Order: sequence, then structure tokens, then C-alpha cells
Amino acid sequence: MEGQKYYRLQMLALVFLRVMIGWHFLYEGVAKFLKPNWSAAGYLMQSRGLFAPIFRWIADTPSVLAVVNQMNIWGLIAIGLGLILGCFTRLACAAGIFLILLYYACNPLLVGYYYSIPLEGSYLIVNKNLVEMAALLVIIATFSSRYVGIDRILHKTLRGRPEPNLINS
Amino acid sequence: MSEEKHPHHEESSPREPVKKLDRRDFLQGVATAPVLGFFGYALHKERAYQRAQLAAKLATSTPAENLPELNVALIGAGAQGSVLLNAMLKIPGIRFRAVCDIWTDYNLKRAVNQLGKYNFQANGYEDYREMLAKEKDLDAVVIATPDFWHSRQTVDCLKAGLHVYCEKEMSNTLEGARRMVLAARETGKLLQIGHQRRSHPRYRHCYEKILREANLIGRIVTINGQWNRSVQQELGWPARYAIPQDRLEKCGFKSMQQFRNWRWYKGLGGGPIVDLGSHQIDIYNWFLGARPKAVLASGGIDYYSKDSHEWHDTVMAIYEYETAKGPVRAYYQTQTTNGSQGYFENFMGDQGTLVLSESEAGYRGSIYRQPEAPAWDEWVRLGYVTAPRVQVAKRELEINAMLDVRESVSPDEHGIPIEFHDHYHKPHLENFFNAVRGTEPLHCPPEVGYETAVSVLKVNEAIEAGKRLPFRPEEFEV
Repeated sequence: MEGQKYYRLQMLALVFLRVMIGWHFLYEGVAKFLKPNWSAAGYLMQSRGLFAPIFRWIADTPSVLAVVNQMNIWGLIAIGLGLILGCFTRLACAAGIFLILLYYACNPLLVGYYYSIPLEGSYLIVNKNLVEMAALLVIIATFSSRYVGIDRILHKTLRGRPEPNLINS
Repeated sequence: MSEEKHPHHEESSPREPVKKLDRRDFLQGVATAPVLGFFGYALHKERAYQRAQLAAKLATSTPAENLPELNVALIGAGAQGSVLLNAMLKIPGIRFRAVCDIWTDYNLKRAVNQLGKYNFQANGYEDYREMLAKEKDLDAVVIATPDFWHSRQTVDCLKAGLHVYCEKEMSNTLEGARRMVLAARETGKLLQIGHQRRSHPRYRHCYEKILREANLIGRIVTINGQWNRSVQQELGWPARYAIPQDRLEKCGFKSMQQFRNWRWYKGLGGGPIVDLGSHQIDIYNWFLGARPKAVLASGGIDYYSKDSHEWHDTVMAIYEYETAKGPVRAYYQTQTTNGSQGYFENFMGDQGTLVLSESEAGYRGSIYRQPEAPAWDEWVRLGYVTAPRVQVAKRELEINAMLDVRESVSPDEHGIPIEFHDHYHKPHLENFFNAVRGTEPLHCPPEVGYETAVSVLKVNEAIEAGKRLPFRPEEFEV
């Protein structure tokens, strides 16, 4: 990874992608936070597929549900802030990928009539959630935050690593 | 060896010093922080919009402290009387002193007992004249008896010095209605006719803000309204509580059956067009700010037995109006054999369509903007209407459907942001009591009720005549 070199345009594109995903996560978290009595119960109860019993159990158990709700809200906000600011980016990406996989596991879009009735749009296994997850993988595999992001400051001061060089910079 | 292995290694070797944090590092480090500023700004705008929507939704009347208490009596404790009583029990500052009903064993007992549960010691009377003679402290009376009694009772109560809330229809005859208007004028007491939509928060919002202030739907050209109700059985009664025949006849009923189903009989009520239609035709007049010019109607006792139903069970009427902005044609239908699509009024203008209903289920309130009309962003921002729900086809089939070129593009659907989860009659009763206290004007004074009575009673005439009947402007004046 450390041998990677990018053109400035590539780097800016990656930063832009990171900020967009971060904004999305941040608003998802903030919107749930601001909604009084938001609960994941609705989404969990709709669960179908392999893990449905676990998700439904979470929805049915108030104590667990309360914890899950808070973790979801603050997790989304933290991931969003991390991505926008480029702070602890790899950690934020990993957490984001985990969350999205969790959401997908709750309502997987597998092949077959029962599964392929989407709530909106037309999808065959791959839906927008998975696309976002793939985008997060790209972010994790590159280090845009070492160029534009708080990680640049952190890496320099705490770990003594200079910022990577851009081609033709 | 080590040099060959690490010629392009980005990591600085431990022997070389790391460059210190310089300004470029810092600036590029925090370069994305302003995005949070944008985020906060966008969030702020979104919240402000939602707050405006919420403010428009909260249509509750402000609770008043230290209201002067009003002594109130109820005449007529049947189905509608009970509805009004339940609504009034939620209005502060009302003390119930008396109830009158000729069905002493049933209606009267129930009403008095119910009031007793709320700690009101109300006196029960069979004859309202006895009540007027004996109860000395009354301020106002609420009348919910069959239509043919409205005039006599209202006039007597007004002349006894009481303010009156009289259920709609004002009267089953124009003569009776005229006497009520004149009595109110002579005595100077307040008379409110029970067209409760005139005080309903959603209707007032549409009238004052959407039509008068914003003129959102442009020039209204046609109106469509209906009240569809499904087949209903006749009302019965518990045999052992039947009213004695002589009392029934004294009060104008031929039998218990007629007493319970008075709405279907000539001379007692006006049938569904009056029971149901008068509410909505009243709204037509109100929203257009005009009186009808003519009416054409068709109706019949199409379904029910003519032995027990003297009025038309199905009525279709077409009104013609001449308003300041131009002519308007308004269709109204009522049927009592099929309840599809319930009840609503649909006002169609050249810039938009307003569909409104008193019901909280079903149509409630929607307003559609014609595609060529100017955008309603400003009104959305002010909370007059909600943000539009764009009509998109949800399934592939709809996208692939061949659209006929003659079809108009679907307009954006906005909602009317007023929900009302309380008794339907409460705002109108509150308006009446506040008017008695002198803090508000009446929303439906007798002159307005009279105009509606003229407009509605003409429909039955038009059906009999079998032709278009014009209205003369003098007909609406008393």
C-alpha cells in the first residue's frame, strides 16, 4: 500500500468519494437521532432469510433493542464524521462495511420470487447497500485521508510518517 | 542489499529525520472540515422546514383558563345529540343544567346518567317548554332534534333569551328557516347553525390560506363532491321502551318506526341530500364565495321500500354558479346503497386541484399542482402544504405501459398538513361558546345557514320538477 502513487485527480476523486459516503452515513445517523422514538424494530421485524430469527429476537427483546438502537445511531454518526474528516479512516471504513453487511444480512436480496420483491428499484442480489460497501472497500484500500484528512496530521505527528507523494506533484 | 531493497520505500529510514508538520500538512489535513459546515447548514434548513410543517399540523385550540362558565341545556339526546354531548364534555367552561327528550325511558335516561358520571346534575324533561319555564339560569341551548322541530324550538329558545346552537339542516322548510333568522335578528341572541366544517381546522386552513391568501389552485372551474354510503338497515328500538302512541302523535310522529327513521319522511326531514349533502354544498358556497344561480337534479327511491322511505335514496345534482372569476359548475351526488370512496369535495382549478374531506381516513386533504403552474416552493416552506410526493410508477409494468398522448401528465401531489384527531363537532361548538362569551365571531350565523338551506332544499324541488331550476338572488335574502 505504501508503494502506491496517484495522480492528483485520482486522489481528489477518492477524497470526494470518501466525503460523499461519509455525508450519507452522518445524515442517516443524525436523522435517526433527531427523530423522537426512532427504533430499528421495524426494519428488524421485516427480516427474512437465514438470520431472520436472530434479528427478530433483537426486535422482541427491549433491552437488547435499546442497546442496538443507540449503537446504530452513534455508530453511523461516528463513521460519518470519521469519513468526512478523514480521521481514523480505516477503522471507520471497516465499521461501515460491517454495518452494511449487517443490514444486508437482515434483508438479503437473493434469487427467487420471495426475495426479489424489492422495496424500491430493480435489483438482482446486488443493491445500493452492497455498492456502497464496495465503495468503502476502495476507500480502505487507498489512503486518501493521508493526503486530505486529519489522518495526515495524525500520521505525521504520532507515527512520524510523511504524506505519500503524488505523481507529478 | 538494503539500499536495493528500499530505494523507493516511502517510509523514511530511522536514520533520516521526519519532516515536521508544516502549514501545507495542516491545511490539507483539515481541508474537508468545511463539509461539516455545509452539512450543518443543510440540516438546519431541513429542520426548519419540518418545524413549519409541524406547526401547521398542530391545530389545537388554546386552552383558556378562567373561562366564565356557561349554563347549557340540550334538546334532543338521540344519535346526533349524543355526538354533540360527547364533544361538549371535552370543552372546558360548560355546565350542563338540563336535557330534553321525548324518549324519556331511553335517550333521556342515558343522557342524564352520562352527565351524572361527569358530576353534572342535569334535570331531565320530556317537554322543552317546561324546561324553558323552569330552568332560570340558562345561557345557551343546543338543539339536536329532527329537522321539522328546529324552527319552533329555536324560535322559542331565542325568545326566552337564550343563545342557540341548532343542528343542520336549519329547517326542513324555508318558512321555518326564515322564522329562525328573523327571531335571531329581533332578539339579538346568537344562533349558530351546525355546519361544523365551517370551524374545522383543515377547512379553515384551506379557505383562509390556500384559497384566499395563496390562491394556489387558481380559478376554480368545476367542483365534484359526493357522499356515498352503503346500504343500511332501518333503525329499530327495544320493544319494551316504545314511546306511548299519544306522545308520538303529539310530537308529530305517526309511529315508533317513523320516530326512529324520521330522516326518510316528508314533512319530518329532507332525505340524504339534506342530511348529508347540506354539509358539502355549504362548503361549495363558502369556498366559492357565491350563491348558486341554478340547479338541475335527478333522484329517486331507487333501492329502498317506498313504504318506509319517502325521500330519494339516490340524488345527483348539478349546480351552476356565477362567481367573480367566472362561471363554475358543481356536481354533487349522494347515495345510500354503495359507500365507495366515501365522502369528499374536489375543487378543480386551472392551476391545481384541492381534494378535501372531514374524514381523517381516506381523502383527508390533498392538493395537486398542475405541471404548468408556478412552483409552490414558497408555500411549502411556509408550511401551507407539504412537500410534494412525485407520482412515480412503482413497477416495471407501469414504466413500460404505453401512455396515451391524450393523457395529461400526473401532477405533483402535496398534502394539507392539518390532522384533526378530536370530535368533529368540537371546534364548531367551541366557536359558538366563545361567541357567547364575546371572544369570537360565529362561523355559521343564521343568514349563512339560510343560504345553504335555500341551495339544498331546491334540489328536491328540482327532482320533482324534472328540469333546471334557477335561483333568484332575492331567494337568499331574509
